[in-house]
Amino acid sequence: MNPAIDPTVARLEQELKHTRGLIGCRFDSTGRFLFVSSEDDLIHRYDLLGGAPTPLVGHKSWVRGMAFIGPDAAGSAELEAWGQRRRSLHAVAGFAGETLPIPKPAPFVLVSGDYHGNLIWWQAELPEPKPIRTVEAHKGWVRAVTTSADGKTIASCGNDNLVKLWNAQTGAFIRNLEGHTSAVYNVAFHPDGNRLASCDLKGVVKDWNWKTGTAERELDAKVLTKFDPTFMADIGGARAIRFTPDGSRLGCAGIVNVTNAFAGVGNPAVVMFDWKAGTSKLLKTKEAFQGTAWGFAFHPEGFSIIAAGGSGGRVWFANPDEATTFHMLTVPIGVRDMDIAPAGNRFACAGANGTVYIYTFTPGATPAKPAPAKKK
Amino acid sequence: MSVALCLIAIVAANEARDPLHARIDQHIAAGFADYAKNAAPIASDAEFLRRVYLDLSGTIPTVSEFQEFMADRSPNKREKVIDRLMNSFGYVRRMVWFFDVTLMERRPDQKVPRAAWESYLQTAIAENRPYDVLVREILSSDGSEPNTRAAAKFFLERDMEPHLVTRDLTRIFLGRNLQCAQCHDHPSVDDYSQAEYYGIQAFVSRSFLFPNARAANAVIAEKADGIVNFVSVFDKAKKQYTITPKMPGGKAFAEPNLEKGKEYKPSPASAAAPASTPPKTKPAPAAAATAPIPVYSRRALLAKAMTEPENTAFARTAVNRIWAMMLGRGLIHSPEWDHEANPPSHPELLELLTSEFVRHNHDIKWLVREIALTQTYQRSSEIPESLANRESIPADRYLVAELKPLSAEHLAYAISQAGGQTDTDRAALGPKGTEAQLDARVAPRIAPFRSTFAAPAGEPEDGFTASLHQTLFLKYGAAVRGMLATRSVQLGRLTDPTAVAEQLFISVLSRYPTADEVKDVTEALGTASDRNATLAELTWALVASAEFRFNH
Amino acid sequence: MPRCDYACASTDHAVNRRAFLGAAGAVAALGPLGFAAPGAAKQLAKQQKRVLVIFLSGGVSQLETWDPKPNTDTGGPFKAIATSVPGTHICELLPQTAKHMHQMAIVRSLNSVSNDHGIGAKIMLTGRKPEAALEYPHIGAVTAKLLGDTSGSALPGHIQILPKGGSGFGKGDAAFLGPKFGAVTLGEGKPPSDLLRPANLTVGSDAAREAFRRKLNERFAKSRKSASTDAYTESFAQAEEVVKQAEVFDVDKEDPKVADRYGRHDFGRHLLLARRLLESGVSSVKVSHSNYDTHHENFDFHIEQLAEFDQPFAALLDDLSDRGMLDSTLIVVMSEMGRTPKINDRYGRDHWSKAWSVALAGCGIKGGAVVGKTNANGTAVVDREVYSSHLFHTYLAAVGLDATKNFYPNERPVPIGDPEAEKISEILA
Repeated sequence: MNPAIDPTVARLEQELKHTRGLIGCRFDSTGRFLFVSSEDDLIHRYDLLGGAPTPLVGHKSWVRGMAFIGPDAAGSAELEAWGQRRRSLHAVAGFAGETLPIPKPAPFVLVSGDYHGNLIWWQAELPEPKPIRTVEAHKGWVRAVTTSADGKTIASCGNDNLVKLWNAQTGAFIRNLEGHTSAVYNVAFHPDGNRLASCDLKGVVKDWNWKTGTAERELDAKVLTKFDPTFMADIGGARAIRFTPDGSRLGCAGIVNVTNAFAGVGNPAVVMFDWKAGTSKLLKTKEAFQGTAWGFAFHPEGFSIIAAGGSGGRVWFANPDEATTFHMLTVPIGVRDMDIAPAGNRFACAGANGTVYIYTFTPGATPAKPAPAKKK
Repeated sequence: MSVALCLIAIVAANEARDPLHARIDQHIAAGFADYAKNAAPIASDAEFLRRVYLDLSGTIPTVSEFQEFMADRSPNKREKVIDRLMNSFGYVRRMVWFFDVTLMERRPDQKVPRAAWESYLQTAIAENRPYDVLVREILSSDGSEPNTRAAAKFFLERDMEPHLVTRDLTRIFLGRNLQCAQCHDHPSVDDYSQAEYYGIQAFVSRSFLFPNARAANAVIAEKADGIVNFVSVFDKAKKQYTITPKMPGGKAFAEPNLEKGKEYKPSPASAAAPASTPPKTKPAPAAAATAPIPVYSRRALLAKAMTEPENTAFARTAVNRIWAMMLGRGLIHSPEWDHEANPPSHPELLELLTSEFVRHNHDIKWLVREIALTQTYQRSSEIPESLANRESIPADRYLVAELKPLSAEHLAYAISQAGGQTDTDRAALGPKGTEAQLDARVAPRIAPFRSTFAAPAGEPEDGFTASLHQTLFLKYGAAVRGMLATRSVQLGRLTDPTAVAEQLFISVLSRYPTADEVKDVTEALGTASDRNATLAELTWALVASAEFRFNH
Repeated sequence: MPRCDYACASTDHAVNRRAFLGAAGAVAALGPLGFAAPGAAKQLAKQQKRVLVIFLSGGVSQLETWDPKPNTDTGGPFKAIATSVPGTHICELLPQTAKHMHQMAIVRSLNSVSNDHGIGAKIMLTGRKPEAALEYPHIGAVTAKLLGDTSGSALPGHIQILPKGGSGFGKGDAAFLGPKFGAVTLGEGKPPSDLLRPANLTVGSDAAREAFRRKLNERFAKSRKSASTDAYTESFAQAEEVVKQAEVFDVDKEDPKVADRYGRHDFGRHLLLARRLLESGVSSVKVSHSNYDTHHENFDFHIEQLAEFDQPFAALLDDLSDRGMLDSTLIVVMSEMGRTPKINDRYGRDHWSKAWSVALAGCGIKGGAVVGKTNANGTAVVDREVYSSHLFHTYLAAVGLDATKNFYPNERPVPIGDPEAEKISEILA
């Protein structure tokens, strides 16, 4: 592991408070902006360089899927440099740093999907982003949205059992990936540019050649699903799905060992696939916890982060190829989504109470203690 | 009317010298003009035997018991069989059913397991524990001592809920359904007053289950304070009354004035007594140890006040319930509606039974035996030609024996015996097998019958119903089919159709077949393509007949 | 909806039912469409009233059904959709039901007092707050007694279909009305226990033993006879009638196309079975759908469960309407409670009795009526608060019965409906 990033020093860096429960969170590709969706049907754009959040007004329902088109992630280093410059100015001249002008962001587009089935394209860097276009994409909920490695294609999935592909630039429909027999919970492009993985409620993972629209393989993540015979309903699916940057592994996060679906009694876990072989191992948390893994991502350094909500909130860290986690943080409230900043220096957790908890791996003089969660 | 009055005078004159069963018959005879002429004759031996077996042992006789009785020529053979049955395990079993159903009314066994409760009742009945002693135990056990916990089942399974407990104390032990009087004086029963209801409730209103009513190991605890107030919902002025413990017609108890802070006994677990509120809920294992025990307990007064002779309704209700068990109808009908507008059918008889019962130390077994010995009990259920149809016969005059439906338990045992299953069990136990061992084999067969035929939990067993569910259970149900399997095999060994008919009718209906019935059986077997199937058909038809379903 | 144009409680109209049912048995034997013979069904419809309770177990969310609050802090992600009644919107999870709103009424202002499953169910089904010393009969038992006494049907008057368990007998739900009116339970929609002749008993044997049993009974009755022995012997005749109609309990006798319309899942089959029972003369049917107790993932689970509810419910309304039975069949969609407007940390909604909704349709119901109102985000009733006792009076009034009359268990008067409540006239036709 790169000694520059030590997960065990991760500490709360910042709390961004909103009044309504949060649903999703994503950093843009520069890591400067954090987009957070909430139960008020809005997406809130936080600029980590400062300033008040900007609401993106357009959806009429909840949003969980968010994906970006551009800008080049190279900008990320400049932002870090700007931040350091400001901090050093603060050190020598008090708050004179405030006068340092905030750099103008490069243009980029956000595509977000809501629970009424619509996708909205936004010019996301503008002072007041407005929808560029709205596409009636799915019948029922859009559960996830993602962008291909080349930034030219958008994939969405939803409760109509479909994965759909869209031209990122024009919003034009490309094709359906048909074959799931239950709601498609999540979708991820493979870095190789040809394949796409999707996971449904029943834990069926499909490996699509998305250029041709054919399902090449079916992988088994059924450990993430259960029909609860007491309540006579299904619980399951991948609440988060990610490939490693090299595409060798795929993680599908969710809930296992469910004994009571209607109270959420079960444990967070990640089904970790060896993508080439199609085999899987279950990554479980070392500490017992009751709830669902709502967030999961691979850190550029190789370790992975699992974030869960249920009886409280937790974040765990796991090394590659290990069956359990090696470090845990307690988040003051159930976590409903998690994203790692592209530079790998921080990650954000979307709290059920409306607060975004941003953690940094940069050691600080005084590790901040999270304030007790205020129940929303 | 003058005839009746005259007869009463004779009855009074005879009372001094005759045994109770004879005096009962005199009272019954005095209750109807020309009783001797109108009443059904004494039941035949077969009719008597089946009835007395069901009433005193809970099942029907075996073929050999039947034949032995029929062959007995001694004049006192009925008395002999009554005594034999009453000294057998069958009597204990039957009376356990009676007390269980009367006291618990099919409530689920949540706090005292069924086995412990039945075992408690068995011991009490086997030693013929006096009824007042039994009820004192039931009303005074707080459930904290393992060896007396079962007795607390009456309160424990009712969660010590004050209204429920008050209702059931009055219904079950006093024959007075005071439920209406919870909110106002009874609108149609003048002597059921709201004050009476709350007087009884005052005995139990401070008691509660500790640590809580949901705990399976809960015990009964009591607070040292708590006043019972009531207002009639009919009273526009909403005048509020306060009442202390009091039995109907009895005197209110003088209550001690206890010094503040000394209302509770120091509990074994905590020397410091609580002030006037009980301690906070503790985990279950410590329940008994930490339950508050007041120095002055209102509930402790209840057992005595309920069972002492001054509270005449107590013995009167017990006598009436036993009478109803035997005769199929209470002298007060129904047994929980004892009030002025619903007088006993034979008031002097009820007085006599009540006073004799008390004088005989609340001896249940003695009372049951005396009733069994009466001609009234032993009268035939066949309607005499002189009485054109049963509907016109006044049911409360005991001219003809009642047709009593078999309870769930009776039905299970009777079918098991009729179908041959019990005989198989008996044979398996061999000559050294005891009645208790046999019972242990038959008892588990009650369960499907209870769930099908018993009244709902918390409702008294009154009246007869024949639901579709019950009839299908008898018609096509696997439980009954299984219990009948042996009989047809056994009958199949007999070749003579007359012998088959005789064996079949004795096994199932405890009587000889009539000539017509022998003919029916002979014809059925004569045309049978599958003899075993025909025998099974015949056995089932007898078991499903009205004659079998009722204790006649 | 036109008011039922005959007197519900009148026995004049009921006398021919037995004759009809005898015929219906014969017609049914002709094929799966036997019961649909429109002439016969219409006649039945005119003469008997029935009640169907659809019980959404666990506590359905009023916000995801009858009282949506979209785009509020409590509304959740779903849309409200227009219905066949202009101005009335319901949740998008009930698209088929929405097309039938003109046949339905909604009460949006129910306070059912208890947040406990068991107590709540009892409150909703009995229309009373529980009393320790008196058990009240459930609506099904009450209507079975009051509607079924003159029905003449051999079938049990009160049947409940449960999603799980075996068949049995819910004698407790009739309380003092007696076991005759207790629900015969069809667990998993299976026929009553012991309905079917055992394989090793031939038709001939069955007939022979019945004949011998009757002979014995006739002889016994010559000298020993009572109302009880008569009831007992008659019960075998009734059982035989029910056995003859055993196909009523078999939904596989339906046209596959009909089964498709109800949906090929348990609840679809159970509602179809309910329809067969109702048209065969059963007065009271309850079908439970499990489960709605969504403390976690309320929205996901309501999608799944309400999709199962919506299609067969709409199919049932269509069928009853086509058969002329909707005007004589009261349908109530209830639950033991509603769910909290507040969305919890786990996307769940918790127990809530203060302000929720019940839907009604069919007999005696004013189509399209909506009574009562909650505030903008559903946290309180702001207009026309009602209790389950008001609903209970309303159910009985809808089928022409008077809940202000008394039952007389143990010779004491017990009002049929809570005397402190009255019917909700606004939703009655």
